[in-house]
Amino acid sequence: MLKKLLIALGFIAAILAVVLAVTPLSNLSVIPIIVAFVCGLLILLISKKEKSKTKTIQYIFIMVIIALSLTIYKSIFSTSEIGNTDQLEQRDEENLEDSKELLEDIEIDEDF
Amino acid sequence: MKAYLLLFFISFATLCIGQNKTVAVGEKLVYSASYNMSGLLTDIAQIKMETSEVKTSKSTLMRLKCTATTYEKWDNFFKIRDLYESYVNPKTLTPYLYKRDISEGGYYKFMQYKYNHKANLVKSLKRKKRKDGKTWDENKNVTIKPSTKDIVATLYYIRNLDIHKANPGDQQDFTVLFDNEENVITLKYIGKETISTKIGTKECYKLAISLKGSDVLRGKNANLLWLTADANKIPVYAKFKIPVGNGELKIQSATGLKN
Repeated sequence: MLKKLLIALGFIAAILAVVLAVTPLSNLSVIPIIVAFVCGLLILLISKKEKSKTKTIQYIFIMVIIALSLTIYKSIFSTSEIGNTDQLEQRDEENLEDSKELLEDIEIDEDF
Repeated sequence: MKAYLLLFFISFATLCIGQNKTVAVGEKLVYSASYNMSGLLTDIAQIKMETSEVKTSKSTLMRLKCTATTYEKWDNFFKIRDLYESYVNPKTLTPYLYKRDISEGGYYKFMQYKYNHKANLVKSLKRKKRKDGKTWDENKNVTIKPSTKDIVATLYYIRNLDIHKANPGDQQDFTVLFDNEENVITLKYIGKETISTKIGTKECYKLAISLKGSDVLRGKNANLLWLTADANKIPVYAKFKIPVGNGELKIQSATGLKN
């Protein structure tokens, strides 16, 4: 019973780790990686005691390795740079020109 | 005679409070917004706050511009290119025109408020984009309180407050016009705190922000803002509570300061 629970938890955590590692939130995949790894180890221990072979351990470990390598790769090589802002700059210019026209009839009142 | 003297002093005092002593034309503050979940930090966007001078044939105004841009890694998932601007009186930071031009993951919205301070009225224009790319406008007149400002002007106005005169625990309300509705933001002065930032270790005023009657900024002292305890009162760090983890805003650089 415990083994089944651990397998289920380990699988969910491992899949979550891989999914998170792919997204820009790769830093957060560390948590499910640890959970999946611990589950994997526990399953391994239980299987050794029972002397039964479980394939699921391999799958969990493979996913953990994939997620971990992706996370490490991303944390080393990804830099925080902003993307293309041409469109924003264009809107900025347009808004400024439009605002100047709108403000043309405004007189600043020193009381406010 | 006494009455005149009193009147003179009162008007002098209000003039002193209303004067802009902190925000200079040409100031540029750059921030990095990140998501923090139990120490695991993920950068999300860059936020810039810039000021510049805008001249019309009759007057000179100050343009307060805030832009938010997601980092490149996010652009394929959720691209944000937001522009918030407010045109204010350079001396008193009273807004005359506000514009919000946002583009967030395919969603586009434009808001414009044109203030009429004498009538306490705001002419509001809302522009949205339909799925087929066509835009539609919605015009509305909104009655406001005399002290109501937009979000950008409020941010700069907070920096102009005499925080050094406040005692820990003091609080003040601000009325902010957002999405054609007046919201009341309460600012509470907690005390001084020295924190280390990208622009050096600074002694700061620690302020707590809360929004009245809303769940957006909930929690007691959960949304905090640190302003440097000098004449510039630069916002150097901000922390916001969100359902899971924290949102953080950290300063990257500050140039063109007044003092």
